[in-house]
Amino acid sequence: MEREKLIEESIKIVGKENVLSSETDLLLYGYDASLFRGKPDCIVLPGSTEEVSKIVKFAHEAGIHVLGRGSGTNLSGGTIPTQGGIIIHFSRMNKILEIDIENQRAVVEPGVFTLALKNALARYGYVYQPDPASEKVSTFGGNFGENSGGPHCLKYGVTTNHILGAEVVLSNGEVVQVGGKSLDNPGYDLTGLLVGSEGTLGIATKLILRIMPKPEAVKTMLAIYNSLEDAGKTVSAIIGDGIVPATLEMLDKLTIKAVEESIHAGFPLDAEAVLIIELDGLKDGMERLAERIMEICKKNNVREVKAAKNEAERMQLWAGRKGAFGAIARLRPNYLVCDGTVPRTKLPEVLAKVMEVGRKYELSIANVFHAGDGNLHPLILFDERNEEELRKVHLAGSEIMKLCADAGGTISGEHGIGTEKKKEMLFVFTPQDIRAMEKVKRAFDPEDLYNPGKVLPEVEA
Amino acid sequence: MKQEDLKTLLYDEIAKCNRCGFCLAHCPIYSVTGREWATPRGKNALVRAIIEGKIGWTPEIEDTLFRCTGCRLCTQTCFPAVETNQGVLAGRACLAEMKQYPKIVDRVSKALENNFNISDEPNEERIAWVEFLKDVPGHMYQKEKAKVLYFVGCVASFFPLVQKIPQAFVQILDKGEVDFSTLGGEEWCCGFPLIQMGMPDKMEKLIDHNQEKVEQLGAETVVFACPSCYHTWKEKYKINAEMLHSTQFMERLINEGKIKFKKGFNKTVTYHDPCDLGRNSKVFDPPRDILKAIPGLQLIEMANNRQLCICCGGGGDLEMIDPELSAAIAERKIQEIKDTGAEVVVTSCQQCIRTISGYARKKEIDLKVMDITEVVLEAMG
Repeated sequence: MEREKLIEESIKIVGKENVLSSETDLLLYGYDASLFRGKPDCIVLPGSTEEVSKIVKFAHEAGIHVLGRGSGTNLSGGTIPTQGGIIIHFSRMNKILEIDIENQRAVVEPGVFTLALKNALARYGYVYQPDPASEKVSTFGGNFGENSGGPHCLKYGVTTNHILGAEVVLSNGEVVQVGGKSLDNPGYDLTGLLVGSEGTLGIATKLILRIMPKPEAVKTMLAIYNSLEDAGKTVSAIIGDGIVPATLEMLDKLTIKAVEESIHAGFPLDAEAVLIIELDGLKDGMERLAERIMEICKKNNVREVKAAKNEAERMQLWAGRKGAFGAIARLRPNYLVCDGTVPRTKLPEVLAKVMEVGRKYELSIANVFHAGDGNLHPLILFDERNEEELRKVHLAGSEIMKLCADAGGTISGEHGIGTEKKKEMLFVFTPQDIRAMEKVKRAFDPEDLYNPGKVLPEVEA
Repeated sequence: MKQEDLKTLLYDEIAKCNRCGFCLAHCPIYSVTGREWATPRGKNALVRAIIEGKIGWTPEIEDTLFRCTGCRLCTQTCFPAVETNQGVLAGRACLAEMKQYPKIVDRVSKALENNFNISDEPNEERIAWVEFLKDVPGHMYQKEKAKVLYFVGCVASFFPLVQKIPQAFVQILDKGEVDFSTLGGEEWCCGFPLIQMGMPDKMEKLIDHNQEKVEQLGAETVVFACPSCYHTWKEKYKINAEMLHSTQFMERLINEGKIKFKKGFNKTVTYHDPCDLGRNSKVFDPPRDILKAIPGLQLIEMANNRQLCICCGGGGDLEMIDPELSAAIAERKIQEIKDTGAEVVVTSCQQCIRTISGYARKKEIDLKVMDITEVVLEAMG
């Protein structure tokens, strides 16, 4: 279909003011937080499920690609329109529809910022647990698509454990309900299938979330190390001892430097690594648990363990962790976040190899990660204006994923596969495995209209 | 500014933007429009695309670059602290060179050329607000020599709604027995609107004139009740005299015992930090210290205060360029003010007052908006 006609039809559905199609707008919706670029044919901002359905239906009939977008914070190129088409930007569908405290459920539209719901829940003493670093701006539609994680997912599980159901627009425009408000829904677990499908199977227009009472007490500690290896060993030892803290985060020296330069979170500049260990739950017994953790830290040569004395100190530590990616940009203009997972016991060994990759390609690598989950986030620093450097960055990123896979881990912890790691899927899956996934894709989207060219690598039939 | 200069000056700065999108949560323009063009990230991307020759100066780029309040909350909340507003202003300067800008820009720049004020009225009218005051000294606040120069600013001089600010401030200075003067019709615009409109080169004449007047007056201190004049002087002017915002000056008078609160102010108030005073000049405590020193006054902070205070919608000449957008931002601001439950919102900027009370009046929202000088005067009794 000609572009003009496509725009005209979109305008009929959502109105002129909610269709963007200028050259400038096409450039602006061609990026996300990854290193990839694309160009859509037009951008549509619907105000209701009905409008989304109409857009998708029309696109389906015309054979046009469709891609959902929230705040465009995606790190793996999941929101990049690599093959053109319509981008559905959900910024207008940003209402919290229901907060049901007694039944511990919330219902939101896909454009709601994660933190906006948390702020609304705070006055009831409730919380939505997943906490992606980008939560102040990441949307629930995006969390749904990417199965987002975050520091607290160590104890509470990732997004899929907190989305109980959704209203979903299928690739032909049909609106269906998957899951529901109860914990275990009859029939196939389509919610589980759709969460993390990166917009390739369906587009959520309403989400049913599980909310929980805020823990009675929280204790946050900063453990400071002179060696990265000791910090890594501590992580394994804590979990091995049967303790599951709410978070167990690690930052290495280069990250500490960047964070301190930007926000002064209170990390010591001469440390090789720090762990942010947070406990939450009942007040009774928390101190005892904290002492056990400190004991384990000491056995693993910790230099010092500091406990946040108040909420302000706690927030400061977290501001440092959550701002780590951005702070890295103070060292070099750009970074690639590698997102891989390894068994916790392999952390020190894989970290050492990651640093070797950095030396091999002459690239600086900073490490900040969800250590408790074994979820690494090596950040490769570079200047994307330097093409040679950019080429090396992609090679190094892929090599790091191989290291994770070879160590018995996997190539994504939470950021998704998107455009970035399609071929790396073969590090962890056989062609047969991929073909099984293809069957699912075909069942939901036989014409390959939803976010085409993402997630699945091409394998021979 | 030429496109090559844009590259020299800003390419490295803009390249620090990793498109993480955290600024979307804070930008007042994005909060009300929900379009990527409004985001600081988008503005960085466009300036960058221009520098790299990937896009030309489209009409949409003009629209985008002229829709930024200059509040710099994006930079405040950006971890690499990308100075997006610098890119925006430089972009406007390139557009100005090509005469590609909103019509109002020409009107304002002509007014400054002809009459040295943004209202395009005869500049002698600057002091018209004095006529409404009682017990005005014979010199009508235009002395030949004075220790302190009170630089009134265009908006407070010409717009009836906010003339109450200079009217209150001169009474405070009189009561505090300060040896001060204004420049009357010899005060010229500080040049702030020219920076915003991408014509910083045209400021020179204004700066030279005002600087010379400070010297002639023999002033040791220049005081501003307008945060944007204050910020502009601090950044662009070179004088020997110290420069203070009215809140800093009044705090000094309180400490010296020259301002005494005989009457007090029995109300709950919340304080709105003007962007050019708070975030951009880092003056957060003096206004709060003043309010806390007033008997009976109870200060309640807004959810977003100090460094994180959200713009009223009137910054960066946005009210002139796109009044509807400015009003939509003001609407959200008013909600945040209302959420505090305070009886009065106090600020220290004539533009914030215009934007906030202008919107409240139009929508018949019951909201009392006061400049800090009015509160001080009333509390002095």
